[in-house]
Amino acid sequence: MGGFLLRKAGAALVVVFLSSVLVFAGVRALPGDPAIALAGENHDPAVLAAVRQEYGLDQPLPVQYVKWIWRALHGNLGLDNRQLPVAHTIVTRIPISLELALLSVLVGMVIGITAGVIAAVRRGKPSDHAATTLALVGLSVPHFWLGLLAIILFAVDLHWLPSGGYVSFGSHPIGNLEHMVMPALVLGTGLSAVLMRQMRSSMLTSLGADYVRTARAKGLSEWSVVGKHAFRNSLITVTTVVGLQLGQLISGVVITEVIFVIPGFGRLTIDSITARDYTLIQGVVLVTATGYVLVNLLVDVVYSLLNPRIRVS
Amino acid sequence: MTGSLRRGTTIALALAVLCALAVAAAAGARGTASASQLREGGTLTIGLAEEPDALDPTLARTFVGRMVFLSMCEKLYDLDSHLNIVPQLAAALPTVSKDKLTYTIKLRTGVKFNDGTALNAAAVQESIQRHLTLKGSVRASEISPIKSVTTSGANTVVLHLSAPYSPLVSQLADRAGMVMSPKALAAEGANFAQNPVCVGPFMFKDRVAGDHITLVKSPYYYDKSKVHLASIVYKIMTDPSSRTQALRAGDIQVEDRIQATDVPTLQKDSKVSLIKSVTIGYQGLTLNVGNKNGVLKGYGPTGTAISKSKQIRQAFEDALDRTTINKVVFGGLNQPDCFPIAQSSSWYAATTKGIPCNLHADVAAAKKLIQASGLPTPVTVHLLLGGTDPVNARLGQVIQAMEKQVGINVVISATDFTTSLNDATNGQFDTYAVGWSGRVDPDGNIYGFSATPGTLNYSGYSNSRLDYILNGARKSLTTKARDTLYHAAMQVIADDVPLIYLYHPVDYFGVSKSVTGVQAYGDGLIRAAFAAYSK
Repeated sequence: MGGFLLRKAGAALVVVFLSSVLVFAGVRALPGDPAIALAGENHDPAVLAAVRQEYGLDQPLPVQYVKWIWRALHGNLGLDNRQLPVAHTIVTRIPISLELALLSVLVGMVIGITAGVIAAVRRGKPSDHAATTLALVGLSVPHFWLGLLAIILFAVDLHWLPSGGYVSFGSHPIGNLEHMVMPALVLGTGLSAVLMRQMRSSMLTSLGADYVRTARAKGLSEWSVVGKHAFRNSLITVTTVVGLQLGQLISGVVITEVIFVIPGFGRLTIDSITARDYTLIQGVVLVTATGYVLVNLLVDVVYSLLNPRIRVS
Repeated sequence: MTGSLRRGTTIALALAVLCALAVAAAAGARGTASASQLREGGTLTIGLAEEPDALDPTLARTFVGRMVFLSMCEKLYDLDSHLNIVPQLAAALPTVSKDKLTYTIKLRTGVKFNDGTALNAAAVQESIQRHLTLKGSVRASEISPIKSVTTSGANTVVLHLSAPYSPLVSQLADRAGMVMSPKALAAEGANFAQNPVCVGPFMFKDRVAGDHITLVKSPYYYDKSKVHLASIVYKIMTDPSSRTQALRAGDIQVEDRIQATDVPTLQKDSKVSLIKSVTIGYQGLTLNVGNKNGVLKGYGPTGTAISKSKQIRQAFEDALDRTTINKVVFGGLNQPDCFPIAQSSSWYAATTKGIPCNLHADVAAAKKLIQASGLPTPVTVHLLLGGTDPVNARLGQVIQAMEKQVGINVVISATDFTTSLNDATNGQFDTYAVGWSGRVDPDGNIYGFSATPGTLNYSGYSNSRLDYILNGARKSLTTKARDTLYHAAMQVIADDVPLIYLYHPVDYFGVSKSVTGVQAYGDGLIRAAFAAYSK
């Protein structure tokens, strides 16, 4: 297990390093002079020179990279356009997005897994058709559209929930849930559809497997057969899918945060790109890449715990 | 007879109502409740379309940042609803020496910063010197003619200029005229933006990057009886649909710049009223006349038809139907015009008088001009669009269709705004659809774009006569002299066509009917410092 973890961690470090080079080069490869973007409407040569100097854009690229990565390794990702520290901004935004993502995964898993199990157990019956149809709708409806519909219904017409914004759990737990319930449901819908289809398919495979037939032959109750044998094995595939859906979830978080005006990491990403805030873009993408690598590492570890043959091979 | 009298009375009444409406619209104000109908306290939440950058008057670059500053950082001079410059922290307009090189500014007395320290001449001197010298200052170029700043007594500041510069006072009515607390500057240094302290009806409380900025009522403000709200929250809401829904749901009370497609929805909403504001900015086309190597890198013919032939440029303009563009692309919401100065400006009438402005296309005239140019048709002209959104695409397509009628083949190239600015700066375009947020002083809307040393002269236009006129206008102080000079400048631009002005944008702001006193002038900024909730 130790060797397996070391190999995976080493590979992850290499990926993070390459990501940092790509992030840095990618931002520099964007068309347009960053100084012009940063200077706003004032293109006086003196202002442009001052901006270049302030952001170190007048230095050779390798020097800029080394300075940036050295500072980044010490937790300093520089100052953004607002003269605010990038690292602090990112650190304050991540928990918000994590909360949204966790709640969405929770919503997705509860709805998706339950619907998937019911659809598999009741294969070919109306509840199966209903769950499959709903899953198709859930997959097809874009988040932004569903979000806007939800806002119009629950905030504008019914006044049940706020249209957007964020209140931290620590300062106002009820307010926090009021603000998060709509975004989590909207974001969780897409995931629940994917999980439902995956769970249904896995459960059907499991329910048709020899060990399930053996369990039934042993006279175990249907609840025990489905819950203890088929369900547990089907979860391996669903765990993988949740990991693979991370990319989708991140993009969903971005859109959902914009629609619901949640000051999370996703919205920070969009805003940094829109504002051409190069320091912020670099910080955000580096943290995203690192996070992605770490989650994949975590999925590998969980996968190996669920199926010991993987770490042996 | 009686009938005609009655009709006359009705018409007079209708005219009176229309005049009253026009006055209200000109002021761009929402609500006129009397003081007894106002509720003290409450938080006003304003949904901003973009996020302000550094809340440091010396470093700030964004348009939207100016909205926040309006509530917390007062200036030496301000604008009234007619965009006239009026004293704010200064006691009166400056006294200018005969040689136009010395401006003496007397300050209001009894004014305190929001940290309780007193505003005095030394504080103003320190702020202006910081604007001029701080590394990365965006203000330095705006007030560069200031050679030195001295004080005369506790409440008089004297600005010494290296050359006459009449737009100076208008610059001091913007961020260059904001005065920062010396105590806060000493404490915060380069981090002033993280805890800015100025003179204002509200003072900075906190900022959560990307989410909101909170200001609270100042206990030190010299006119605090006029301030009714307890706090103002500027919420960053970049998605226009979310902004509109938040206003309708009551989560925000003021919506910054409503997108055109949401205007009809909000017009039907009984809980919301709209403020319409014709801005002093403009949108138009910059024609590359001589920008071959880049802005300020020596201008000369680029070899394209647009650069070679004045007739082609004139034909290009004649083929454009400004009214149709406004109708088709912008749903008729903007104000078509042919000049860089908006009709809402007091400079407009005198500086544009007698200069033809055809809001409709003149296809026959355009064809004649193309024939006179001697160039074979179709003449190919590239159009650079600074945005890939549907509105920009529609603008490009409409222009393309209009020019096709006269024998000009427009090839559209759409890219993101920053890249387009880069291309424009480097002279890699024929025509470029771009606008300007506008300045109160005509110099701010003309000099930078059309004078040879102009830093935004993407056109690469260099005309010694125009330079002479514009420099003369900078040195002249009387309105009459400047009117005459800018009129002459407009004539040169209209004839040579380095730029084609299409329209002045009209901004719509949404305000909850529970709030009164929110205003928007022609500068496009929301003024909410003296707003209040109705009882």
